[in-house]
Amino acid sequence: MLKIEGLTKRFGKLTAIDNLNLNIPEGLKFGLLGPNGSGKTTLLRMITGLIEPTHGKITLFGKWTPTSRMIRRRVGYMPQQTAVYPGLTVSENIRFFGRIYGLSGRPLEDRLNDILELVELGDKKKEVLSNLSGGMVRRVLLATALIHNPPLLILDEPTAGVDPVLRLKFWDWVDLLVKQGVSIIITTHHISEAERSDQVVFLREGKIIQQGKPFDIMKRFQANNLEAAFVRSTNLK
Amino acid sequence: MAIRWIALRIIQEIIRDRRTMAFFLLVPIVVMTLIYYALLEDEKAKLGVVTRGVARFYEYPLVSVIEEDEDIEIVSLDIPDKETDPAELDRLIMEEMKKGKAHGILYMDQQLLSERFAGERGAIHIYLEGSRPTSTAAIFSSIAEAMDDLTETMPVVIDAECSAKCANSVNIKAIEIKKHYLYGSEDYRLIDYFLPVFPTFFVFFFTFIISTITFQRERVRGTLERLLIAPVSFSQIILGYISGFIIFSSVQALIIIGYILALIQISFTPHQLFALGVTLFLIMIVALTMGLLASFMAMNEFQAIQFIPLVILPQIFLSDMIWRIESFPLVFQWISYGLPLTHANIISRKVMLQNQSLWENWPQLLSLGGFFLFFMLVMSLVALKRNKNN
Ligand SMILES: Nc1ncnc2c1ncn2[C@@H]1O[C@H](COP(=O)(O)OP(=O)(O)OP(=O)(O)O)[C@@H](O)[C@H]1O
Ligand SMILES: [Mg+2]
Repeated sequence: MLKIEGLTKRFGKLTAIDNLNLNIPEGLKFGLLGPNGSGKTTLLRMITGLIEPTHGKITLFGKWTPTSRMIRRRVGYMPQQTAVYPGLTVSENIRFFGRIYGLSGRPLEDRLNDILELVELGDKKKEVLSNLSGGMVRRVLLATALIHNPPLLILDEPTAGVDPVLRLKFWDWVDLLVKQGVSIIITTHHISEAERSDQVVFLREGKIIQQGKPFDIMKRFQANNLEAAFVRSTNLK
Repeated sequence: MAIRWIALRIIQEIIRDRRTMAFFLLVPIVVMTLIYYALLEDEKAKLGVVTRGVARFYEYPLVSVIEEDEDIEIVSLDIPDKETDPAELDRLIMEEMKKGKAHGILYMDQQLLSERFAGERGAIHIYLEGSRPTSTAAIFSSIAEAMDDLTETMPVVIDAECSAKCANSVNIKAIEIKKHYLYGSEDYRLIDYFLPVFPTFFVFFFTFIISTITFQRERVRGTLERLLIAPVSFSQIILGYISGFIIFSSVQALIIIGYILALIQISFTPHQLFALGVTLFLIMIVALTMGLLASFMAMNEFQAIQFIPLVILPQIFLSDMIWRIESFPLVFQWISYGLPLTHANIISRKVMLQNQSLWENWPQLLSLGGFFLFFMLVMSLVALKRNKNN
C-alpha cells in the first residue's frame, strides 16, 4: 500500500529524514517510534504530500507521489497540533471536514453520529471547542480525521497529553478501525502502548534503527517491554 | 531583579526578529515624511483667463493683481484667440476644465465694457470645475479681491464733463461676478468632496485587517495545512474565503453608504450607487488578497500585525484621500499609482461628484482587476513556496 524508497528530507544543513526505505502493507497497525526530533512528523508530512522530499520516492495506493484528489480522499491525517476550529462546536468541526472531503446530506449525518459515538462525544456535540478539555479536543481532532472514512489513517501523536484511561481508549478505537479494514500509521512517545501495533519501526536521526513485530524486537533485546527494547536499541550505535 | 530579566527577554526577542526591528525604527521616518509633505500644502489652484476685447481695460490689471496671490497659478489654455462666439467659447471653456487644465477660468468680454459705460454693474464670468472645494474657494476669493481693487482704482467715467461734481457720472458700482459650475453647485461643501472616499477606505481597511488576521490564525492553528491536503484546490480555498467575507463586507458597505447618503448634501442616481457598489466590491477583493498575501509573508502573528500600518498608512496619505497627491514629490506620485486605494478613490469621486458613468473609468477598473490578479498570483507563489519548503 505504501512504499518509500530512498527518501531524504533536508532542512538547510539538517537532514531530518536520511535515505529511508520502508514498505507498509495494507490492513496493519503500524507504529512509528522515535525520540523527539527523530523525523516522525516530517516523514508523515511527506506521506500526506504537505512537504516535498529532497530526494526519493513515495508510492501510495500504487500511485507515485500522493497529490491527486483521488488519493487525498483516501487518507485521513490527524496532525500533532490540534488543528481544529475553537470557535465552532464539536459537530460543526467534524461536519466541516466531512464536507471538505465531499460528504453531504444523510450519509454525512449518519457518519457524524457513528463517529461521535465512537469517540464518545455524543453528549458534547453542541459544545463549542473552547469550552472543552484538552483530551476532548484530541478526540474531536481524531473524529475530523476519520469523518470521510479513509482507508489509510495517519495519526501523529494521537495520545500526547492524554490521560492513561483515555490513551487505552484511543488504542481500542484504533483496534476497532483496523477491524473495519482501515490501515493505520501511528506515532507515539508512549512506547509501551505501541506494543499493540502489528509492526513497529524505531527511528533515530531520520534513519530506521529497528523494524519488526513488537514481540520480535523485545526478544531481540531480551526486554520484557517495548520501552526497554527501545532504550537498549538507541544506546546501541 | 525580575524587572531586569523581563526587560532583557523583550530586548532579546525583538533583536532576533529583524523585521520587527527594522519596522520599529524605520516606520516613524516614513510616516513623518508623508505627514511633512501632506501638510506642506504648496498646492496652487490653476486659473485660466479668457478675454475678448477687454484686455487693456480689465485683463492686464486684473491678472497682474491675481498673479501676486500665492494660492493661484495662472495657466494658459488651448482656446483659439479668433473664436468669439460666446456659446462656442462657453463650450470650449468647459472642455478645458473637463480635461483638468484648470480648476477655474475667468471670462470677460466687451459686453462688460459697454455695460460699465452705460452705468450698469456689468458682469464677469467665473467658470469653476467645482469638484475641489479648496480650489474653488481660492479662485473665487482671489478674483473677488482683485475686482474690488479694480473698481476702486479704475472708475469708469460715464460723463466726462460732470466728473467730480456729480457722483453719478462715475461708475463705482461693484462688478457682478457670475459663477458657472462644471460639477456641483454653490451649495457644495468641502466635506462633500471627502465623503465619497470614506466607503472605499473603510472597506479596504477592515477587509485587509480581518483577512490578514483570520488567515494568519488559520495558518498558526494548522487548519490551513489540513485544507491543503484535503481534496480541494488552493483556488477553492481562496474563493471560499472571499465568499465568506463578502457577506460581512457588503453589510458594512451598506451601512457606510447609508450613513454617507445621510451626511452628504448631494442626491444620487441609482447608477451612481451601483457604480459605488462595484468599486467597493473590487477594492474588497483586492484588500482580501493583499491580506492573505501579508499573512503568508509573515513568519508569526507579530509580523502579520505589522503589515497593517505598513499597508494602510501610505494609502491614507498617498491615495488622494485627503491630501492632494500633486503636493507630494514625484516619487510619491508614482508610488501612489501602485496603491489600489488611489484607483478606487478616483472612481468613487468621479462617479459620485462628477456623475461619470462607471465605464468611463475603465482604466481604474482595469487597474483594480489587475491588482487582484497580481496579488492572487504572488500569494499563490509565496504560499506554494512556503509549503514545499517547510
Ligand atoms: N520546517 C522545518 N524547518 C526546519 N527544520 C525542521 C522543520 N520541521 C522539522 N525540522 C527539523 O527536523 C527534525 C525532525 O523534526 P520532526 O518534527 O519530524 O520530529 P519528530 O520526530 O516529529 O519529533 P517530536 O517527537 O518532537 O514530534 C527536527 O530536528 C526539526 O528541528
Ligand atoms: Mg512530531
